Amino acid sequence: MTRGTSSVGTGVVAASAKSEAAEVAVKGNGWTGLIPIAIGILIALVLHFALPAPQRSYNTQILQIIGIVIVLAVSLNIVNGMTGQFSIGHAGFMAVGGYTAASITYYGSMLLWGSTTKHGGFLGSGDWLFLGSCLAGGLVAAIAGYVVGLPSLRLRGDYLAIVTLGFGEIIRVVLQQTGPLIEDVEALRSVGLKQLVPPPLGGSLGFSGIPKYTNLFWVYSILTITLVVAYRLKSSSAGRSMISVREDEIAAQAMGVNIARQKVTAFVVAAFFAGVAGGLFAHSTGTVSPKDAGFQQSFDYVIMTVLGGRGSISGVTLAAIFLTVLPELLRDFEQYRLIVYALLLIIMMLVRPQGLLGIHEVWEMFNRRRRKAETSGSDVSPAEVGP
Amino acid sequence: MKSSTEGLTAKSGVIAGGAASGSDALLDVREIGISFGGLKAVQKFSLRLPRAGLYGLIGPNGAGKTTVFNLLTGVYQPDSGEIQLGAQRLGQGKPHEITAAGIARTFQNIRLFPSLSVLDNVRLAGQLHNRHGLLSTVIRSRGYRREEEQLRQRSLELLQIFELQDRADELACNLSYGHQRKLEIIRALATNPKVLLLDEPAAGLNPQEKLALAESIRQIRDRFQVAVLLIEHDMPLVMKICERITVLEYGITISEGTPADVQNDPRVIAAYLGAGLEDA
Amino acid sequence: MSDFAQTLITAIAIGSLYALIALGYTMVYGILKFINFAHSDIVVLGAWGSYSLSVRILPALGYGLKEVPPVWVALMILLLAMIFCGAIGFTIERLAYRPLRRAPRLNVLITAIGVSLLLQNVGQLSFVFGASPQDMPPLLSDRALATFSFGEGESARQLVIGMVDVVIFATATSLMLIMQYLVFHTKLGVAMRAVSFNTDTAALMGIPVDRVVSFTFVLGSMLAAAAGFLIVMKYPSISQPAHTIWVLLGLKAFVAAVIGGIGNVRGAVLGGFVIAFVEQFGAFYVSSNYRDVYVFTLLILILLVKPSGLLGSTLREKV
Repeated sequence: MTRGTSSVGTGVVAASAKSEAAEVAVKGNGWTGLIPIAIGILIALVLHFALPAPQRSYNTQILQIIGIVIVLAVSLNIVNGMTGQFSIGHAGFMAVGGYTAASITYYGSMLLWGSTTKHGGFLGSGDWLFLGSCLAGGLVAAIAGYVVGLPSLRLRGDYLAIVTLGFGEIIRVVLQQTGPLIEDVEALRSVGLKQLVPPPLGGSLGFSGIPKYTNLFWVYSILTITLVVAYRLKSSSAGRSMISVREDEIAAQAMGVNIARQKVTAFVVAAFFAGVAGGLFAHSTGTVSPKDAGFQQSFDYVIMTVLGGRGSISGVTLAAIFLTVLPELLRDFEQYRLIVYALLLIIMMLVRPQGLLGIHEVWEMFNRRRRKAETSGSDVSPAEVGP
Repeated sequence: MKSSTEGLTAKSGVIAGGAASGSDALLDVREIGISFGGLKAVQKFSLRLPRAGLYGLIGPNGAGKTTVFNLLTGVYQPDSGEIQLGAQRLGQGKPHEITAAGIARTFQNIRLFPSLSVLDNVRLAGQLHNRHGLLSTVIRSRGYRREEEQLRQRSLELLQIFELQDRADELACNLSYGHQRKLEIIRALATNPKVLLLDEPAAGLNPQEKLALAESIRQIRDRFQVAVLLIEHDMPLVMKICERITVLEYGITISEGTPADVQNDPRVIAAYLGAGLEDA
Repeated sequence: MSDFAQTLITAIAIGSLYALIALGYTMVYGILKFINFAHSDIVVLGAWGSYSLSVRILPALGYGLKEVPPVWVALMILLLAMIFCGAIGFTIERLAYRPLRRAPRLNVLITAIGVSLLLQNVGQLSFVFGASPQDMPPLLSDRALATFSFGEGESARQLVIGMVDVVIFATATSLMLIMQYLVFHTKLGVAMRAVSFNTDTAALMGIPVDRVVSFTFVLGSMLAAAAGFLIVMKYPSISQPAHTIWVLLGLKAFVAAVIGGIGNVRGAVLGGFVIAFVEQFGAFYVSSNYRDVYVFTLLILILLVKPSGLLGSTLREKV
């Protein structure tokens, strides 16, 4: 069945043909789209050089973690908030990305430079290896997202939740069964294929000794790209499609939306960013372990989307910041943290299920026009269909 | 008025064909049917809808009218029979594919997207013919922006035709009932259809609004050159604007013809009022 | 041969446990059309509750914590655990789920996740059950009811049919038979099934929907408690409430319910045994490391091929 504009039976398009025939004026050239990203990268540069390094400053560390967490929450929001699916295995994608990135950097460093310590200065060759490995992590995670997204086509909310949960747990178990890391350069160079099964990813102890390439510059540059992509997705035709899938699948299909494709796309995009974030995390703490794929981790991001507003990028960002900073401030009450989260979740569902901001962004909350309900009473005048 | 279809009515429950001859028909439905478990919801339903035709589909509640719509739009896959739109066989297509091919519909219970604005509801329907992919969307390429602007203008024009442009930024859920019904129709039109299926568009409207609606439907057919198939319970409305009417009862077509034909068909009267009133 | 038989016996015992838990999931799903994520945490409460009760009751009655007390003590603890969990189930339904009876299913699911987390973490507080594993005092004697020897010398193997396995199977089966009778041969069962078909119509027919729902929850929680009790009979070292092992247990029982056809009582029982067999035989003959993976893979396969489960029926959504 081919898509296409109708040439027979003119229909609606002919009726308003004049707008299509005329050249529609569009401002700017092909590069204007990159401006916000450039600004973000600039800010990231400034942050990086103005603030002390993460190794030396606790506050910088927090800032770094916040940036990464926002990437994870906002990416999950694309699936849970905008498309209305319920994925509770997001950490699985993060772990997949983290492990992929770690392997490339760790073993790559050994092969290229003979050791796993950081190589090169700011934007040196080590940094570029790191960026490459994070992107690779995102790609592998995206593939995983595709695989996980496929069952979502046939499953409703509850079932999908279980499948995504199962995915996270499967990843965790599989990672636990991996073999010990190869720490000797000579051993690595002469490694045979047999030693790669099971892959040397550290097993249940985790993958440690990862060179800590993550810094404020990388985190906030990638965060900028994530936010820009998420926002542009939301306020575009793709966003409308995703939201229609969330609101009413049957009506969406009737309006020509390929709901299967939208759902899978959402999963793939979200998984990509989660994978990149996983790479950032791995190179921040220097370790990534199987339990990072588990449900307990996924839950943190789920609660951020629920609290912030399902579909609101700014809402989820604020929730992410709030829920990352708060536990740090309340270190002493750590054992009560999950209890508070749990109660928060229950109360939110009882009192304000759409989250604090719903689907609106922070700046939209001030737009009174939207909130004024139209006065009841129906339209009496006949619809004038013009000449 | 005696018509040749009466004889056919007496013989079988199947009426084949209508005023349009085979080659003329835009939408050619040939004996489609579907069962749910043991229940035969629709049996051997046929219809020939010509270009710019305005046909009606009526019948008591539970007769299977909405099921026919669902079969035509791919929500259900027919167990038997064929559907052809122009030269295209629609067969087992998915709903979004059928909409792209040119059949649009409205829903009995309004199914607008409540979180989207009025304009966005229309834009969503109109964007199915857009060609730009994810990457262009994200980098906001010139081509993407141009397509979006065209879509926006087209959508606003549509809203203007129906005098809803002032509400373009309102959330769809905040509209009055009458406006929501209008938006349902506008949205379906935005998909640039060849055939428009309206499912009880007059439900819940007062008599004045129904008059306006009747006029609108005619004008929609004339201006946009779409064929219209209408499910309705409001008899005066149907009799007034439909050129031909098909009557369903328990999934079976019991009558088909002009309004006059159908009004006088004893089987139709019996279906609506119960048997035993032929002499009434 | 004996390995096969031993695995078989374990699979049957564990299958009956999964079936018991799956019944709870399926009954709640049938009535309210949502997955009670917190159900597995009731199992945990049953397990830990049994422990707490034993540790207090045994000394009070004059028994040490290492000797096996008479049967009636075990029965009493089981009953108390069931009452305790039944009460908790009742409370949860009243406070967290009933207000959301008309809300979108996704919201209730999120609430259930919240309740689950709440139960887990409250259970881990030091003044409740604590965050370290404990050992359950033996309430049943460990003895072997029957032993079969196979082979000679090097390949000599023993097949042991333990008391614990038999008790588990017997208890679980009795409870399931009681459920079967309740759901299919009593007026209350008819009410439950009516509500599961169409809540509004059932209400119009005069069925007290709220009470039926509460009762279903209480029943499901009591079954969960029994399962928890039986689990610690077989595996006396109890992990702390938020440990993954409980999450996995609940998940597998849920998978069992889905595989059998969620909402279908007989399906839950069938599913329980299917899962146990896949898990045990997979672990024994292929690799025990991937034990959990088999179960999830089976879930995904079923959901892709026959989402309504083995005994379920497909329903088309009316547009």
